[in-house]
Amino acid sequence: MAHSTATADLSDSSVMGDSRLAAVSRAALGIGIAGLLATAWIGWNRADPAQFAKIYLVNFMFVLALCLGSLQFTLIQHLVRAGWSVVVRRVAESIAANLTWIWILFLPVAWLYFSNPHFGEHGPSGLGLVWPWADMEWMRSHDAAEAAIVDKKAAYLNPKFFMIRAVAYFVIWAGTAAWLLRTSRAQDASGSVALTQRMGKWAGPLIILYGVSITFAAFDWMMSLSPTWFSTMFGVYFFCCVSTAGFSFLAFVVLRMQQMGYLRNVVTPEHYQDLGKLIFAFGVVFWAYIAYSQYMLIWYANIPEETTFFLSRQVGGWTWLSAILLVGHFMIPFVLLISRWVKRWRLTLALGAVWMAAFAWLDLWYLIMPPVPTKLATYDSLSAFAEANAGASTGLLDPLPYTMLVGMMGLLVWSTAARLSRGPVLCRRDPRLPESLRFENI
Amino acid sequence: MSTTATTTSPAPRADRVDVPLPGTQRVWGMIAEFDTPADIMEAAKKVRAEGFRFWDCHTPFPVHGLDKAMGVKRTILPVLVFGAGFTGLLAGLGLQIFTNSLSLKIWAMVWVTGYPFLISGKPLLSIPAFIPVVFEVTVLLSALSAVGLMLLMNGLPRLYHPLFTSKRFLRATDDRFFISIEARDPRFVRSRTEAFLRSLGAKSIEVIED
Repeated sequence: MAHSTATADLSDSSVMGDSRLAAVSRAALGIGIAGLLATAWIGWNRADPAQFAKIYLVNFMFVLALCLGSLQFTLIQHLVRAGWSVVVRRVAESIAANLTWIWILFLPVAWLYFSNPHFGEHGPSGLGLVWPWADMEWMRSHDAAEAAIVDKKAAYLNPKFFMIRAVAYFVIWAGTAAWLLRTSRAQDASGSVALTQRMGKWAGPLIILYGVSITFAAFDWMMSLSPTWFSTMFGVYFFCCVSTAGFSFLAFVVLRMQQMGYLRNVVTPEHYQDLGKLIFAFGVVFWAYIAYSQYMLIWYANIPEETTFFLSRQVGGWTWLSAILLVGHFMIPFVLLISRWVKRWRLTLALGAVWMAAFAWLDLWYLIMPPVPTKLATYDSLSAFAEANAGASTGLLDPLPYTMLVGMMGLLVWSTAARLSRGPVLCRRDPRLPESLRFENI
Repeated sequence: MSTTATTTSPAPRADRVDVPLPGTQRVWGMIAEFDTPADIMEAAKKVRAEGFRFWDCHTPFPVHGLDKAMGVKRTILPVLVFGAGFTGLLAGLGLQIFTNSLSLKIWAMVWVTGYPFLISGKPLLSIPAFIPVVFEVTVLLSALSAVGLMLLMNGLPRLYHPLFTSKRFLRATDDRFFISIEARDPRFVRSRTEAFLRSLGAKSIEVIED
């Protein structure tokens, strides 16, 4: 077309990673290590290792969600043969490529599995420290009726199969992410259209594998925290966490890189508007839709074995967190992000992305941290549970989760920035790049 | 510039036989024909710069950036749709609260009152139970208002338009790009506007009569 506001800057200083990103990488590593040291220092003498392990799980799931979000973004773009997104795809591929090492952060869980240490005389041990079903001996001694229900799920919920599945998920994610980045980089060198077609062809099967794996990962790592409770919506709920955190992080990284002088006039408000739409659609509206759907069915049917999930989130401080999530994850961002200019103006989009990522983290906290009823769901046991936890704290004033978050985010940014600093930050020879560069919303 | 057809040209053209004789009709305006999106884009900028107000572009497909070149303001339709959706939200909520949760009597042609009905032990005013209906009514009013107001603001449906008299204009839905300037525009002077359009590089210019 004959019109164009400013020409995209495709010079090396704009599209090649260099020392600026390397400096970010080094700084992030320093901050990350400081965060981890602070975590170790604060957490060293914690009396409750189960609490510590769950806080770890929240932060692990969060950084995992950031990477998975970019993986799913890349897969979707290939699946629908999208043109607009080519200018941000290399950034997404580079964030997703962290999945090749993120399994290392899962190793403490493997350590729980192999060590089987007895932390306390009366508590569960090994993996059971976090997931009660992993220590059936303790469950039986705690409440035989509840244990009898969980026993029926033993074919799926047992430590060995749990670890095998975990390995399978990481293989799928790491393999997909590594292949997508490698193929895309190969195209930088060859400019071959066949590579785009190959990625498009495999995006379909891969996204099915991806969907199945994140669904079961959500079942394994979060839903099974309360082993008798179940929700068919739970996999989709985690998909929403991934979308909220992942799309927000992607938008924020692109904004920050542009501020540093990369991708000058390559990424325009038109692309930001579409990234904002993704955050709005999946992080705000779809989240409210599925979270409400899950709530409404359980609330209406009012069956004790199902309502335990919401009971444990409506005691003490958790009632407040539930309300804050409703307002902060849906109502406020819905009204703000619905406007066009909010998604196009860099400052407001950056604020929106940080806000939504923070609420994605709070959402994971809400899913993982609340007290779990461990006795058979009856009127008496649930009343006793509600009474015992009437003053339950959300634990959000504790510095530990935040130092741990800083530590893990530091590692993530370190690895991402280092990867981006070593090559082009743009899919320079993608056949759809010209289309993406002149993309406009109608 | 090769072919220039106007009603004042002496030679009658085959594709203009259905148009009444010159002078028997009121002039509605003038259309200029262009070959490519780039041509009409340039022309539109100049027409805008000339200060015309009652003019339009007709293209076979959406041309990106043409709205900007023409200086078309963004529509306020989204704001109106938001208002309609919000009205739907309040209406859906109000209807359910009135019918299920209150014992209010209101006069709507006859005296009507709600029907408080206890369902599975839930409170009479249970917001979670109301949300599906609230959602549906919000979506319904948003969608209907979006379509309805779009038609209204575009002046549609409209079965007749002076431009339909031009055979040449039919190609606006196929492979030609047209700029039309209406005679009611204060800057419209037949001879000068024609010369102006010709200076833009129009392939042909035609006076449209109503």
